[in-house]
Order: sequence, then C-alpha cells, then structure tokens
Amino acid sequence: MKPLKQTRSQPPQAAREDVIVFAVGGFKLAIAASVVKEIRGMEDLHAFALGGISAQISKLKYTLERNGTTYFVVDAAQHFLLPESHGARVMVLRNVPTGVLVDSTDRIMEISSLHALPRAFTHEERGWYRGLAVVNGAVVPVVNHNAFLNKTELEILRAGLERVRGVVTV
Amino acid sequence: MMAEPDKSYVLFPLGEKRFALPAETVTELARPDSVQTFPHRTPLLTGVLVRRGKIVPVCDVAQVLVGAAAPPRKFYLIANCNLGPRQELTAVPVTGECELASAARVPLTGMEAPYVSGLLAMGDETVAIVALEKLICVEAPQ
Repeated sequence: MKPLKQTRSQPPQAAREDVIVFAVGGFKLAIAASVVKEIRGMEDLHAFALGGISAQISKLKYTLERNGTTYFVVDAAQHFLLPESHGARVMVLRNVPTGVLVDSTDRIMEISSLHALPRAFTHEERGWYRGLAVVNGAVVPVVNHNAFLNKTELEILRAGLERVRGVVTV
Repeated sequence: MMAEPDKSYVLFPLGEKRFALPAETVTELARPDSVQTFPHRTPLLTGVLVRRGKIVPVCDVAQVLVGAAAPPRKFYLIANCNLGPRQELTAVPVTGECELASAARVPLTGMEAPYVSGLLAMGDETVAIVALEKLICVEAPQ
C-alpha cells in the first residue's frame, strides 16, 4: 500500500484568546478582544462624504471624533459584501483609526484554538479572516481587523482629509 | 509494454451521471450534517462541516459537473485534496450512495474539461475521474 502523502493540513494553533462575538447580516463573527478599544452606539457619528473618496471606499460610512482622533467607520456588511444590514453598534479599534459598524455585539468569550482557513477558500475571505474558531460546535470566523481599512485605504483617507482640513491627526 | 493494473475508484452519483475519485483519496462517506456558512466569495464552496474536530470545506461540484438542475444532495463524500503545498479534506455533496469499483483507465479523447483526469469504462458507461483540486478552482456557472 502506498504511504500516505506528504504534508497534512496544519493543526489549529493552540493559543487561548479572548474574542468578541458580533453579528452582521445574520452571520456570527468574532474579533480579538485585544484590538477593540470601545463598543458604542451610533451617537456622535458623522456621515462620511469626501468627494471621490466616498465612491472609492464605499464601505466607509461615518467618521467619529474621539479625543482628537478621527476614526473612519466601515460598514461591516459592505466590507463582507453582504446585503444591506442594520448597523447599530460601532466597535472602535485600538491602534488604528478604524471603527466597524455591526448589527450587534453578543459576548466576549475565550477560544482555545484557531483553525487556518481551509485553502479551498481562495477569494477575498483569505484577507478578511485570521482563521476559524469552533465554539460549541459552531464555526465562527475570527476577522483580521487590519482588513477593514488597509494601509492604502488609510493613506487615501489621510491625504483626502488633509486636503480638506489642512491638518488632521489620525 | 505492460498494461497498467486496475485501480480502485469511488464512484459517486450526481443525478443521472456518475463520476469517480481515486479510492486512496477518499476518507469517508458522511451522512448529511449541518453545513455551516459564513461570508466568503469562493464560488463553489457552500460552507464548512466540522468532522472529528476538523473544519472541512464543502464544495458543491454538482453545479459544474451536471448543472443547476442536480437533484438534492444526500451524502458528503470526504476526500483529500492537494491544495498548494498541503493536503486538505474537502467534502463533496453527492446525490446517492457511492460504490467502490476497480477499473482500468481508457485514453482521454482530448475533449474533456480540464478537471477530468481520466476516464473509466464501466460496461456501457464511461465515468470521468475528477481532479478535485482543479474542479475547486473552476468558477461556478452563472
């Protein structure tokens, strides 16, 4: 009998991590609790409208001013290319000027391992997720928080706001 | 020149037609289980299954092999698939029970789709051997 072939799929990374489970468009997803600075309602959001940039980054819906920093709030439903959803909560991220508009936040919980996204998934989702967690038998993708606004998009936004305001702190 | 010995294949039905996977790649025929889904954009993938602690993507190849009119899928054929540097399990929904058969390959005609890696003569029936890793890369028909 032929020996079983070469490399097997990678075992899940066994590292405990706290995640915040949230909902978008009927799906449950999770984000590392360590990258979320604050969860808040829709108050104090300003509709984002900045010439061509609004069209270029259409998922960007609002800005939020907090302690002298402008946060760019991304509609998570549009980010994940889902039908329009009912965003009601904003997760303000830590160390990046990004907020994420989600339908609801559920709970904070500990995951014991993170499975790699199977390689059969080949499209945008490879950038969207850090991996998959199994929570009570349910598969919950753990999002890559840096993908909501990537470096290029943040550069475009910084440049756009500087044009408008003269100087901006992000 | 010596003839190639017969190999074992798992024949799986998709509606009226049957297709084959090399038996050594198949690990399990599973009963319907709850497919779990999450946002993604890969066309043929309908979600994932959790099998013995592993996350197994579900690839609905019937859309490509027999079109949208395929009857409801009843079982999942779980097979190893070489995707890039790694071998990973993939679940293929099939419409009926599968059969283990030994057969010799017959020459390809040159008219087959790129995901057909060989042909088997099973009596009057010619069964296409499917290269799962190539099939997964096919875009779903609109």
